[in-house]
Amino acid sequence: MTTSADPAACQTAQAGQTVHAGQTVHAGQDAAGLVFVAEMYGLQLDQLAFLLSISTRQAGALASRWTNRKLAGTARLGPGPRWVWLTRAGLQACGVRYAPAPPALSRLAHIRAVSEIRLALEAAPGYQAAAAHWRSERRLRARLGGRLGARDHLPDGEVHWPDAGPDAWAGECWAIEAELTPKTVSRTTAIMRELLSRTGDYGCPAAEARVPGLPPRHARVIYLCSPAAAGTVQRARGALGSLAERVELRFLPDRAYLPATSRARTSE
Amino acid sequence: MTVAAGMTLLAALPVTLVAVVSFAIAWRRGWQPGRLYRGAAWCLPMIAVWLAAIAITSRSLMLTAESPYLAWLGMWRHGVAGAYLAAAVLIAPAAIPAGLLAGGFAWSLRISSMATRAGGRSPGSAIAFDQRQWRHQVRSATARIAAPGSVPLLTAHGDFVAGAVIRAVGHPARLLTRLPAERLRSHQLVLGGTGTGKTTLLLRLWAAFMAIGLRRHAAGIAGPPLVVVLDCKGGADARRIADRSRRILRESGARNVAVWPDEARLSLWALPPKQLISTLVDLIEHGTGGAAYYTDVMEAVVALAINAPCGPPTSTADFLTRLDPGWLCLAYSAGGLDDQLALARSAGRQVPDVALRFRTLFRRLGPGLDGPGSFADADAWYCILEGTAEVTVAEAQARALVDLLASYIGSAPGSPHDPASRRQVLLAVDEFSAVSRRLPIWQLFERARSLGLAVQVSAQSWHGLARTDDERYRLAATAEGGIWLLRTPHPEPVIALAGQRAVVDSTRQLTGWLRWRRAGTSRVHDTHVADPALIRGLDVGQSAYIYRGGATFTQVKRLVAGPPALTQVPHPAGYEALSDQPDEPTRADVGRPAALPDVSAFLTEAFGPPVSPATRRGGR
Repeated sequence: MTTSADPAACQTAQAGQTVHAGQTVHAGQDAAGLVFVAEMYGLQLDQLAFLLSISTRQAGALASRWTNRKLAGTARLGPGPRWVWLTRAGLQACGVRYAPAPPALSRLAHIRAVSEIRLALEAAPGYQAAAAHWRSERRLRARLGGRLGARDHLPDGEVHWPDAGPDAWAGECWAIEAELTPKTVSRTTAIMRELLSRTGDYGCPAAEARVPGLPPRHARVIYLCSPAAAGTVQRARGALGSLAERVELRFLPDRAYLPATSRARTSE
Repeated sequence: MTVAAGMTLLAALPVTLVAVVSFAIAWRRGWQPGRLYRGAAWCLPMIAVWLAAIAITSRSLMLTAESPYLAWLGMWRHGVAGAYLAAAVLIAPAAIPAGLLAGGFAWSLRISSMATRAGGRSPGSAIAFDQRQWRHQVRSATARIAAPGSVPLLTAHGDFVAGAVIRAVGHPARLLTRLPAERLRSHQLVLGGTGTGKTTLLLRLWAAFMAIGLRRHAAGIAGPPLVVVLDCKGGADARRIADRSRRILRESGARNVAVWPDEARLSLWALPPKQLISTLVDLIEHGTGGAAYYTDVMEAVVALAINAPCGPPTSTADFLTRLDPGWLCLAYSAGGLDDQLALARSAGRQVPDVALRFRTLFRRLGPGLDGPGSFADADAWYCILEGTAEVTVAEAQARALVDLLASYIGSAPGSPHDPASRRQVLLAVDEFSAVSRRLPIWQLFERARSLGLAVQVSAQSWHGLARTDDERYRLAATAEGGIWLLRTPHPEPVIALAGQRAVVDSTRQLTGWLRWRRAGTSRVHDTHVADPALIRGLDVGQSAYIYRGGATFTQVKRLVAGPPALTQVPHPAGYEALSDQPDEPTRADVGRPAALPDVSAFLTEAFGPPVSPATRRGGR
């Protein structure tokens, strides 16, 4: 499986070049995994195994190797397999300047869901054929550089479809939203409107964020919801009026839930 | 005494300075004293931090208690040494809140003395002071609405914001004129002459109703909103306002806005048969006295045509075909309908006359009421009635439209006992008195009330509200949502309804040429809540909102709609109802492809089938 989180970072790491004095050269598999983990805040070992098409045991060994090289940290942060995240050295190796920190406990479920969405997308043949790429929330947040307004909302990811792609939607940019727990309908509607009306890139001057007459940044918003949140999202979409046709709703992939959550859902 | 006061002011120089500056700012901007008091209250955290820092560093409660005095001493010491900045920093935590309090108190004394006409050099000073304060308040309100994003249409709590407050009498003095959403769902009255900003205010009210209605609908509290505007003047001006309304309502969430009869149609034939008979008969002019006989004949013939065994007519042509003695006899000759057959035969000689009258009526009415289409086809309807050019036609159209709306509300999907499924309807009528001969506006008001509609009546003057004074007073007295009064030459009737308030008035003793003593007497008397002179002098965009014995003078914020379409594409020959046509692009739509490519297949491949109520119920 190929990853395409950030072309520049990918190329640097995949070419096996030394990205920092004293850093070791990484194999292609390592690079793909490291860049993916860097972009998604952290990853559980079963997801890492799926990403690299290896067994969970091999993924555990790979994570241990990263840990030994001080590139990553691993721990059992919540239910299910161990989590792996990159240390400062690991992030430097990937060529990104994110704050090194383990995934926040309160966001574990959300991070897993978003990672699973990305994995599902990248596994789709259409995505690979079009050479689309994922721009993570972490990257968008880093672009803002701490200038995120209290009312601004960042999507959980963006999918960029290159212009030269074979699909009819080539050239579009999609906003991806993972909705595990229902918000209020009015808040969800407001988020949808905000995403659909934005014209500028994240990190652009405030005056360029929403310029009347310019094409919207996100051609559509893809909502991946849990069954609990689907009703709210549907009603919020219904309140959008003519904009509703630019919002797509799907259920989250089955593997998107933390194991305990899955059990809870089954027992309900 | 004066020397002692001067010494005190000098000793407390920093406080004096802050008080003077805050007093001057409040005077210049027309603020209420409360604003300065609130400013002082906001300084409390600064004082707390300052005292806490002193307590921590000195570890002495006594020293902390003495800190304001010590700061004052230190300030003078630094001041004498020439270290003015250090002196200012040292005394600021104590001087700023105290100065604001002192400034606010002084300003409240000044306002009170002027309000009771006891202040100033002459009795006329109070009048000049009030006029000057009005100008300052207008300037502040204008500046407030000019700041981008300062006046949203709705607050986070869902309250409607009309604009910036200029002056409030009997209402809370806020920065913005905020109305709870319920007021927009009640009856309201808007009075204002041409060029006073009435349309701007109405558009803001309609947009707010639409936005609030969509929020409530999204929250599952009520059905979707519907705004129906009856513009009873017509002409090119009405088309221009219709275009502006369409763009503004689209931006507030309306999916489609229909302009009747120019772009969309309604079907009179969708009325229930009983109502259809009554409406059709009322559309025809008929006299009184001996003419009542012909009215009865006409009603009988129309009832025969509508209640024919084959069902009610579906179009004008169908109805006119039935107004034929042969058709009526044939329709009722199937057996079992002998009474109707006998009636059709006896009325046979009058049927051609009735047909002639209806043929003439429908020719004059045009195709606007011949369908297809219903109020369900759009979120907002802007109906243009040519009340100025063709009064009789407009009167008939008004009657038909109100009947259609009433019928639609009565038969709209959703249980009448379940508010969550009922549509929220606003009926806005402008200059309805021009077309209210067949349907008195009071009757419209009562009918709307029984149907649960909110009615908004607007007119250019008190006399344009209704035909008789009795009707005007009944309208104004039942406007539970409040009255918006813009500049109008005759505001007294509405102002009288707004009520009075008690004020203190003082007299001054004249002691010489243009010299008055402070000695005099004061008395309490009642005066109008809304000053008629102020109403007559309101500028464009200013209005007085009168509600429950109070008035809030407001500088209304104009809603800016997206640009109109660059080119007007003529409708194709087959253009019928708006519901069949794609919506025109909004500002948000501009720049994106007309139709987005379908990505369902790709998403299904990646994530499975789309979310639908069935899959949601069953889970996955």
